[in-house]
Amino acid sequence: MKVTYNWLKDFVDINITPGALADKLTMAGLEVVSLEQRGGDYIFEIEITSNRPDWLSVIGVAREVAAITGKKLQLPKDYGRPTSHVLRPTERAVSILIENKKDCPLYTATVITRVKVAPSPDWLKQRLELLGCRPVNNVVDITNYALFETGQPMHAFDLDKLPAGGIAVRRANNGEKLTILDGQEKTLDGAVLVIAAQDKAKAVAGVMGGKDTEVNGGTKNILLEAAVFDPALIRRSRRQLGLQTESSYRFERGVDAAALDSARRRAVELILGISGGESAPVESRGAGFKKKKIVNLSMAHADKVLGVSITAAEAVKILKMLGFGAKPRAKNNFSVEIPSFRGDVNLEADLIEEIARIHGYNLIPVSLPSFRPNATAAAAADLVWMVKNTLAGQGLNEAITLSLIERGLAECFQVPAGLAVEIQNPLSREQEILRTAITPSLARCVALNLNQKQEYVNIFEVSKVFSLSADKNNPQEQLNLGIALCGERSMFLEGGLVKDKAGLPHLKGLLERLFRKLGVKVYDFRMLGSQEAGVYIGEDKVGFITGLGKKALDYLDIKNKDVFVAEVCLDKILSAAALKIKFRPLSLYPGIKRDISFLIRQGITAKDVLGAVRLKAGPLLEDVRIADYYTGKQVPVGQRSLTVSCFYRSPERTLTDNEVNPLQDAVCALLKERFGAKLR
Amino acid sequence: MDINLIQEKIENDLAGVVSAQALEDVRVKYLGRKGLVAQLTNSIPALAAEERGAFGKEVNALKSKITALIDEKEKSLKIQDNVFQKSDLDIGMPGISRNLGSRHPITRIIDEICAIFMRMGFSVVEGPEIETEYNNFTGLNIPLEHPSRDAFDTFYLKNPHQSTNDPSTWFDSAHHRSLGAGERPLDVARGRRTTNDRLLLRSHTSPVQVRVMKARKPPLAVIVPGRVYRPDAVDASHSFMFHQVEGLMVDEGIRFSDLKGVLEVFAKAVFGKGLKLRFRPHFFPFTEPSAEMDISCIICGGSGCSVCGRKGWLEILGSGMVHPNVFKQAGYDAKKYSGFAFGMGIERIAMLKYGIDDIRLFFQNDLRFLKQF
Repeated sequence: MKVTYNWLKDFVDINITPGALADKLTMAGLEVVSLEQRGGDYIFEIEITSNRPDWLSVIGVAREVAAITGKKLQLPKDYGRPTSHVLRPTERAVSILIENKKDCPLYTATVITRVKVAPSPDWLKQRLELLGCRPVNNVVDITNYALFETGQPMHAFDLDKLPAGGIAVRRANNGEKLTILDGQEKTLDGAVLVIAAQDKAKAVAGVMGGKDTEVNGGTKNILLEAAVFDPALIRRSRRQLGLQTESSYRFERGVDAAALDSARRRAVELILGISGGESAPVESRGAGFKKKKIVNLSMAHADKVLGVSITAAEAVKILKMLGFGAKPRAKNNFSVEIPSFRGDVNLEADLIEEIARIHGYNLIPVSLPSFRPNATAAAAADLVWMVKNTLAGQGLNEAITLSLIERGLAECFQVPAGLAVEIQNPLSREQEILRTAITPSLARCVALNLNQKQEYVNIFEVSKVFSLSADKNNPQEQLNLGIALCGERSMFLEGGLVKDKAGLPHLKGLLERLFRKLGVKVYDFRMLGSQEAGVYIGEDKVGFITGLGKKALDYLDIKNKDVFVAEVCLDKILSAAALKIKFRPLSLYPGIKRDISFLIRQGITAKDVLGAVRLKAGPLLEDVRIADYYTGKQVPVGQRSLTVSCFYRSPERTLTDNEVNPLQDAVCALLKERFGAKLR
Repeated sequence: MDINLIQEKIENDLAGVVSAQALEDVRVKYLGRKGLVAQLTNSIPALAAEERGAFGKEVNALKSKITALIDEKEKSLKIQDNVFQKSDLDIGMPGISRNLGSRHPITRIIDEICAIFMRMGFSVVEGPEIETEYNNFTGLNIPLEHPSRDAFDTFYLKNPHQSTNDPSTWFDSAHHRSLGAGERPLDVARGRRTTNDRLLLRSHTSPVQVRVMKARKPPLAVIVPGRVYRPDAVDASHSFMFHQVEGLMVDEGIRFSDLKGVLEVFAKAVFGKGLKLRFRPHFFPFTEPSAEMDISCIICGGSGCSVCGRKGWLEILGSGMVHPNVFKQAGYDAKKYSGFAFGMGIERIAMLKYGIDDIRLFFQNDLRFLKQF
């Protein structure tokens, strides 16, 4: 909202510079976002928080200026009081019918006859223009002027264009049409409040007047409306109509009904003075006054909440400057009367804020709380932290992608149709659904990076994914880990440059590393297709690793590249985590290493071989691993060569060949018999 | 043996030495426990008293000489070793190592912020991203149809049981939506939840305040990082998904001055000790009194630049004392307990701290961007 320095000076004697005033306003909660010098005046643009409709007026801001500069708010003597102008009863008296008091608690209509509509005087035009309001004619300009000055929106109808009879404040009929002042034709419905005459909508209440009752050069007689409408209703109306006006902005925040008559008189006074004419007595329906609000204030509470001692005298002074009444109840206790324009103040905490605000937040000392720590056990967040560090430690780069995606992307990743949670009000197609998996988004990042000529893309993300429950009654969310790999990684080794092409074994290796770090023991990878394997913890499938299919690659416009992705449910993995570390004593005795090389049929997995060896060799076998593998020229088709390295050690004694040889012989026999291995 | 002879002999011996082992053999031969020098020393008691002094001096001189000769030889051997290696290693070549990956800048900032608060006794909690309208708004004293909601434009979920031609908002099917670990369901009978409890994507992390207060009793101090969503048109400074960190401390005797103190520790830890702070009155429905915290501009130091809009100050977070109505909704005794809450946008802090000028970079995940962190 904008106010000017000179307009404020109409109501308060300011003796500091505009710049200093802007700083003081900002530090009192009226953030001045810009200060501009123009036309011999200064324009303050202030961000007004939604709880302070009283600040949406020059007088409201002037009241604040008075409080923070220690001056008095000076309203002219006759401001808001019955004026000296003659009231002439008129035959054009208008009856008012309010359909629902809740929608419109108070409506007043003042008929002013024989006005001379003309351009406004320069001073008035200039003030409006400084606030960014385009002058129209003296009547319309005065309603705007009064709005900016008092915060009470008003509207002038051309009385002669209103059908005779009374006016009604009612909900619009469904499908009812109205062309509003800006020329747009709006179709209305029962959610919108209108001012109607002879059952035709003539204005959208609190938002904008109608074109056909506009005040223009030919207007002779006017009806000046000043009213109070239900804030929530105005809010719904203006949202539905896609309009935001100075009037609706104030009505939806709440206008001060108690000050309505004073504002109306101010407008009438200006119209009679500038446009001439004669005013009839006001017609009024409804009531503007609310019960007085009293809130108790204890200075002891204030001190306790703020952490600073403010004297009762200062607090009372602050409250009175802001328009509150404060009567002592007991020592340092007050009953505070809330002024009608402060609908936001209902509790002691609200009063404490007022006192602290004017006293100055920066005068409140800095302390540290005497908090009783309530330590909790390590949370999932700590495990996620570990996951991210483990993966980054293996060279992966963490990505963060958007959780909302378009349906098309999800579909080409074979996400079951109908299981995605949809957004009711997306701004674009890219926000249609909540993603059910991370990897489609990661694959899109791969495409972007390939376009940037990256040779190797390795990224991961930890994020929630979302789906519908089977009965579609509940949305579900779970924490997933996604990994995407693509391209060739170049590495220097001692012999020179080595290239390593990403594939499923890399995904498996990354996940195995992670499982070991987390202490997840009973995991398994099972082939589900030629380019896909399931990831299992126990018998529970927790995810998959796969190469992307043609459909997905085409959708993402990835050409001549293979992309490999992993998607696993991190919730399940983390719940299987066992981070407790138990130290195993180090053996003091040397061990014996035995390697066995053999040919074995393709299709027998190394995992089964190692498992069988481990079982057969028994407790003296400390470690068994694949030491080498080979397929190629020297190996018959359908076979491969494996070297298994066994390491035997006892914690109690030095092993001898005599003990190890029979174990190793048994292992060899097992390989031959169970797996058909040919020892080399 | 004659001292001069020994000196001559060792020079001959050393001339033939080409390895460290051979040098060690020479050392033992002359300086060892039973070496030639030791033999000379052992012969001293057998000499006439008047000869002993001079002879002893000569032996010592010999010993020093031999030690020096051997040391010299040792040095020359080492230099030869180095010459040998230098011919093979180009130290200008890249070293052999595995690449490290990177954590996303948003993750880095969240971790940094959480760590600071954890040192002050806060613990990290998280909440779901799909929320009820109650937790996102009503429980936080943000009424329906109120302009204070304008700051929180919100994505609502579509009811899966409606046809696509007739999209309607999804209402929470009251009893079965779980509140997360350790939390008890809302008390429907006490009117805390109505059939109008629509489902939405949380537009701030503050609903976790509601959840934490329902699940626990004071004292509590939590820090809540997470994703939030608002239907904003995307540009260099807006994204429809972004991150916030929320903080909440509730105990007996927590004061506004404590809020200032805790946030000062935080701001100085993140942005540097020389920082100036100011607290401005503001309005948030769920705190009273409320304040926004500004820091002196980290780019210009307060003199005014394009980043701070010539103001010299940067708005960093919103904060305030927990509103009595929020305590009331949570079933806390507002007379007994007090507390403060604060919330901040992570992207903004990351952009300021790292000098990033476009919020979209965070979500594009260009490796040239990610690898800088």
